[in-house]
Amino acid sequence: MSSKPPDPDLGTYQPLTYYQMREVSLRELLVEKGVITEAEVQRAMGEIGARSPERGAKMVARAWLDPAYKARMLADGSKAAEELGFEVPALKLIVVENTEDTHNVIVCTLCSCYPWPVLGLPPSWYKSEAYRARVIAEPRSVLQEFGVELDADIEVRVWDSSAEVRYLVLPMRPAGTEDLGEDELAALVTRDCMVGTALP
Amino acid sequence: MSDVAAAEAGLAGVAPLPRDNGELVFEEPWQGRALGMGVVALQRTGSTWEDFREHLVTAIAARPQQNGESAATAYYAAWLEALERLLDERGLLGVSSSDDR
Repeated sequence: MSSKPPDPDLGTYQPLTYYQMREVSLRELLVEKGVITEAEVQRAMGEIGARSPERGAKMVARAWLDPAYKARMLADGSKAAEELGFEVPALKLIVVENTEDTHNVIVCTLCSCYPWPVLGLPPSWYKSEAYRARVIAEPRSVLQEFGVELDADIEVRVWDSSAEVRYLVLPMRPAGTEDLGEDELAALVTRDCMVGTALP
Repeated sequence: MSDVAAAEAGLAGVAPLPRDNGELVFEEPWQGRALGMGVVALQRTGSTWEDFREHLVTAIAARPQQNGESAATAYYAAWLEALERLLDERGLLGVSSSDDR
């Protein structure tokens, strides 16, 4: 990396760094020689970035439709993710179920541990000090600010993630969705529903 | 096993992909592309992660993390070097390396 001061003539233009150039030239050479194609590299990179909330949503929708899958998911979240082809490398994924009398919400009080293999990258507020501290101290107020109104008799459980253990909230299936298929159900499940800061 | 998971497994312990809190770290886009390119190039040349790992370990030893440089930048700099060596060994880069282009 260059540590030279910015060149005023270049304005905000950022010249390519040495390794940027080296990566581009190696890739172009390999494409030219027919070893790889750009499309293949894009596909491989897509796989790296493919970890998005759609994965978690698919798990939730499957659990709503298939009680046996739901039971396996609550017993071992990592295995249930892998069952749908979503790998959870070196992490223990625990799925916590919302019920009529319990609402779950996840946090990482220490830093920003997050169930990224099934939810992708965390939203910036998840990493904020305000969320991390307040959701522990006053979860109901925080949830209210997210628009989640809970009856006073519903217990709120806050799950603190760690380097090894990540949590995923299984929301309750909304009423009136009996006729929906898996894809339609999955579309109702947002990232925040699986963090516990929204309801489907 | 997915391609990237295979890379993770093949390099674990010896020269693991840079992570923060369990998440893959890319400081700049070229680093992600270097990983993607490596995954594809190894597949297409019938090379294994063990083959690549040897080159990567050598490249990391030859070019340790520099002052003021992030771990990810140092790692993927060595990654590019290792990939070039491996492909060169298989006669795929021709007489000139990409440095000379």
